[in-house]
Amino acid sequence: MKYCERNSGLSTVPVQIELDDSTVGALQNQILSEIQSESIDGIIIDVSMVDVIDSYISYVLSETARMARLMGCHTVMCGIKPSVALTMAQMGLRLTGIHYAQDLDHAIKILERIVGVGKQGA
Amino acid sequence: MRDINIENYDLSVKIKEENDIVIARQMVKNMVRKMGFTLSDVTKISTAVSELARNIYRYAGEGYILLRGKQEKDGKNVGVEIVAYDRGPGIEDLDSALRDGYTTTRNSFGLGLPGVRRLMDSFSIESERGSGTIVIVSKKRRAF
Repeated sequence: MKYCERNSGLSTVPVQIELDDSTVGALQNQILSEIQSESIDGIIIDVSMVDVIDSYISYVLSETARMARLMGCHTVMCGIKPSVALTMAQMGLRLTGIHYAQDLDHAIKILERIVGVGKQGA
Repeated sequence: MRDINIENYDLSVKIKEENDIVIARQMVKNMVRKMGFTLSDVTKISTAVSELARNIYRYAGEGYILLRGKQEKDGKNVGVEIVAYDRGPGIEDLDSALRDGYTTTRNSFGLGLPGVRRLMDSFSIESERGSGTIVIVSKKRRAF
């Protein structure tokens, strides 16, 4: 997992490994501390490389988004694979407090619309 | 409770540590992919195994994920059977455990078992207080 460049209040988190329970917990902590230390108001979690999103991973991501929201930050998850979307929908997983996008560009557009992040520096 | 003989299965993964959840998920994923399941079904089966393995780790401490191909009389593989087996404390209230949104831990949607039930074609569960829990699920192989 690596963290990408900061882009005026916006941070991208590409998840590139198989998520286990402790990794997803560490990811949550990392995101929250980054929101505080770098005054981020938009987080993009890119899961286009992730093959399995189960109920616990969903729970932690949803919880992270709600915590981020309390800290004044919006969260967009992008790149969910068709097979993962199918599985999540069939399981009945409903994540609250999170926005969805098709890809990074789409995620940035959504964040620009919601909070106008990414525009300040341009 | 029925007896499960590990010898009768093509794959067995012992669940004891948290990381074993990912190992079980990966091994089952590779296996069902090789068996010719579609990508959607591979994802559903792997996700179901992830839920079952986590239940073992969380509630029983240790147990097994077992897998075997289900054969028809003509000898062709037609599906997969997966067993989650533990000798843990058992599930106190089975009806509740199968209901959406019911959970006994923090950090959970309570969609594990009911989700697994929806992802697979067949689902059966047997649990006895003090003796353990056996969940048996199966999925047919489909062309698309």
